[in-house]
Amino acid sequence: MAEENLLTDDFVRQLINVGEVDILVGLPTYNNAKTIGAVVQSVQSGILRWFPRERAVIINADGGSRDGTPGLVTGVSIDDMRPVASMNALRTLHSISTQYANTPANGVALRSILAAAELLRAKACVVISPDSENIEGEWLWRLLRPVYKDGFDFVTPTYHRHKFDGLLVTNLLYPMTRALYGLRIREPYTSEYGFSGNLGSQFLARNPWEDKSNDSWGELRFTLEAIRERSRICQAFLGNKHHVERRPSDLVPALRQTVGPLFSALDSDFSIWSSVTGSQPIGTTGPDSPELLEPVRVNRKRLREMFSSGVADLSSVFQSILAASTLSELQRIARQSETEFEYSAELWVRTVYEFAASYRKSVINRDHIIQALAPLFRGRAFTFITENRNGSAADVENNIESLCLEFERLKPYLLQMWRSGQ
Amino acid sequence: MPLNEDALWYKDAVIYQVHVRTFQDSNGDGIGDFQGLEQKLGYLQELGINAIWLMPFFPSPLRDDGYDIADYCSVHSSYGTLEDFRKLLESAHHRGIRIIIEMVLNHTSDQHPWFQESRSSTDNPRRDWYVWSDTDNRYKGTRIIFLDTEKSNWAWDPISKAYYWHRFFSHQPDLNYDNPAVREQMWQVMSFWLEMGVDGFRLDAVPYLVEREGTHCENLPETHAVLKDLRRRLDEQYPGRMLLAEANQWPTDLRPYFGDGDEFHMAFHFPLMPRMFMGLKLEDRKPITEILQQTPEIPATCQWSLFLRNHDELTLEMVTDMERDYMYDSYAEDKTMRINLGIRRRLAPLLQNDRRRIELMNGMLMSLPGTPIIYYGDEIGMGDNINLGDRNGVRTPMQWSGGWDAGFSTAEPDRLYAPLIQNPVYGYPAVNVLSQIGSDHSLLRWMQRIILVRRSSAVFGRGSIEFIHPANHRILAYIRRLGNEAVLAVNNLSGAAQAVELDMRKYKGNILIEMFGKNIFPRVSDQPYLLTMGPYQFYWFKLRRV
Repeated sequence: MAEENLLTDDFVRQLINVGEVDILVGLPTYNNAKTIGAVVQSVQSGILRWFPRERAVIINADGGSRDGTPGLVTGVSIDDMRPVASMNALRTLHSISTQYANTPANGVALRSILAAAELLRAKACVVISPDSENIEGEWLWRLLRPVYKDGFDFVTPTYHRHKFDGLLVTNLLYPMTRALYGLRIREPYTSEYGFSGNLGSQFLARNPWEDKSNDSWGELRFTLEAIRERSRICQAFLGNKHHVERRPSDLVPALRQTVGPLFSALDSDFSIWSSVTGSQPIGTTGPDSPELLEPVRVNRKRLREMFSSGVADLSSVFQSILAASTLSELQRIARQSETEFEYSAELWVRTVYEFAASYRKSVINRDHIIQALAPLFRGRAFTFITENRNGSAADVENNIESLCLEFERLKPYLLQMWRSGQ
Repeated sequence: MPLNEDALWYKDAVIYQVHVRTFQDSNGDGIGDFQGLEQKLGYLQELGINAIWLMPFFPSPLRDDGYDIADYCSVHSSYGTLEDFRKLLESAHHRGIRIIIEMVLNHTSDQHPWFQESRSSTDNPRRDWYVWSDTDNRYKGTRIIFLDTEKSNWAWDPISKAYYWHRFFSHQPDLNYDNPAVREQMWQVMSFWLEMGVDGFRLDAVPYLVEREGTHCENLPETHAVLKDLRRRLDEQYPGRMLLAEANQWPTDLRPYFGDGDEFHMAFHFPLMPRMFMGLKLEDRKPITEILQQTPEIPATCQWSLFLRNHDELTLEMVTDMERDYMYDSYAEDKTMRINLGIRRRLAPLLQNDRRRIELMNGMLMSLPGTPIIYYGDEIGMGDNINLGDRNGVRTPMQWSGGWDAGFSTAEPDRLYAPLIQNPVYGYPAVNVLSQIGSDHSLLRWMQRIILVRRSSAVFGRGSIEFIHPANHRILAYIRRLGNEAVLAVNNLSGAAQAVELDMRKYKGNILIEMFGKNIFPRVSDQPYLLTMGPYQFYWFKLRRV
């Protein structure tokens, strides 16, 4: 088995002690000591409350933390040596940890968790973000129940987000996956999701350890796998999304982990997305109870400046990627004043589709293509924020829906570029 | 075979629980009797047990399986005569088997002459032998035990025009242990049987002897004083005899019943039993080790009494609500299997007749600290009949053969005190002593072997226990130790094969000798000791320095 090369002997020994499980909770971590304690406590209480009879395990795949993160995870184990903690627990709860590398890599972390799930024959699995400070035990129920009880293969979350939180999701990932695959999965790139052991095994089989290019991809690829396998998918409402502050420099890695896999999938999934028109809603479980959301501060001015300087600095790169008319339009708006500036939905969709087509043709190094998208995304983000600055939640939703429809409307353009490139 | 003269004989005992009515009918009236039981002592001797616990055989209206006694110093005519009992006692002793009988101290039948006198008039000298009241408001903090049938611990007596106190069925009035005459009379009753030669008493329902306002009327100091007085008299006048407490309590509440070795010799460990079943179903040792870790030390002369099943329901009083729900769903999905706070099933049906699980449970019964009690018929895997009322489904006739009346009686089948188990899986044609004696691999033969191995070492009855905590929670492992002798028991609670690493460094240098096959296993070193275990498999290893 390929995974024998990745899982350490010590981790395998721990897995032997765990044995077959019904429920597996995966926690990919890297230096999360500040938040992981509260997260694992919630996970533990969620298991005890919602799955007291099931054989459960918490698996921590750590990227080489130096702040004691793994110890905080393993500390919530319940066994006969810890009688106080186990007063209300029917059975042993193993919480085990493995360090897969000295540097964090989402793809390796996830595959370590999936390999453990396969070896333990887990029926239902959930991955939880170590940053989810507002996690409640009930999240486990919402993400696992559809898999464990109702036969779903994949459960993605929905949240209440602040209108300016998750701009990459709302402006690119959600509308583009929706347009391509015809499914309205609101959070295709998520750090919390549930899935069946079967889906995990299928995914593992398709993404071998030996392929190092798999090491850095993000969870979006898992979503695409579920779609590709025609899995039964549903969404679970989890409440408010805790906003994690990002630095501008975080954008390129985020694009690599999300847009990269999405563009890559277009090639292999052509037979799937090329025949899809329109989109279908996905069933969502859980009560929808809006609460006040913490405001998200965005430096709009900086966004536009980075867009303008990016368009200027990368014009030679853009000439290889974009159609002349698109580039010309971008250069035009880059010269606009802040009050006039508008990166329209149509222009944005054309931009993205042209990037996807160029990515396929590898007109330049693919990573450079992804990096080149960053300043343009900032420009689009500026417009989105400006348009919605005074909008209500419903207004914002309407705007996102309009953008999605634009992605669907212009899909033939993508198809045309694709076919002409074949 | 003479009786073992050791005063601590009960520590090494393997006890067989039987109701005389159920075992063997010698006179063809459809009801088991003393002579029939005497005829079967050879079978019990061959099984390897060395003590019998006889359930109530006293004159009784039998509204509670004989626990409603109407005369303490005689035997029920259906079972024979006092002389028959004496002969049974003598024969058993001749075979090295002790006899423990039941003594119901807490209450009598409402048909007992004492109660009849007591209710007849407030002036009667025996009026205060029972607990009377003008109201039913006293002792409000006291729980009701038989929730399915009783609404109150007080019952109105229309003759006496007063309420009487009963902790069990309303036809079982509680004796008043604040009355010295009652205490003296009950000692006289015990003396009657001790003089005859019985080796011990299982004292029924002992936590409830005394009532006090403002308490829950259980485990009161006054109750302990009564019991200590009985023990003092027993030791003074009948040394070497034994008292076994039936007190369905948490281990910490049970501990006082041992006193300083001056109250009971033995007590049932009620909370352990359901947790053994729970651990097996969960495939997790946690419930078992947790309750044993909560079990306090007891005086050196005292002993826990362990059992898997008995004549009552598998009681779930000593578990949490969550655990009870789990047990019900796991072992009694059909609600007709439930009674009071428990499950009225025998061992084999509870374990779905899975031979491996039956063996594993018996393996734990025989190797955990305490004296094991085997309920009659469980040694051959008898089934039950949940269509019979109350707990009668686990009290059907012993299945000796596949022939007429299962070899239990010569009476017409419809005259038997209870119908035989007839179903294709557990019925007497399929499950009986005769067929199992003929097969070396039968459950009965296996039970004979495990009892033999258990009795081959005093470590099981008298040794200390030290748990090993392998990271594999499906494995329950412990060392029993007595002097220089040590035995390692390893139990796989899982239905799948398991690998386990045991930290045995403390025993470095020992080799392991598997106690059934006598084969040698590798020497213990500084490294974790690796064992692979088959589904539901258990090992007993003797540790030897060679």
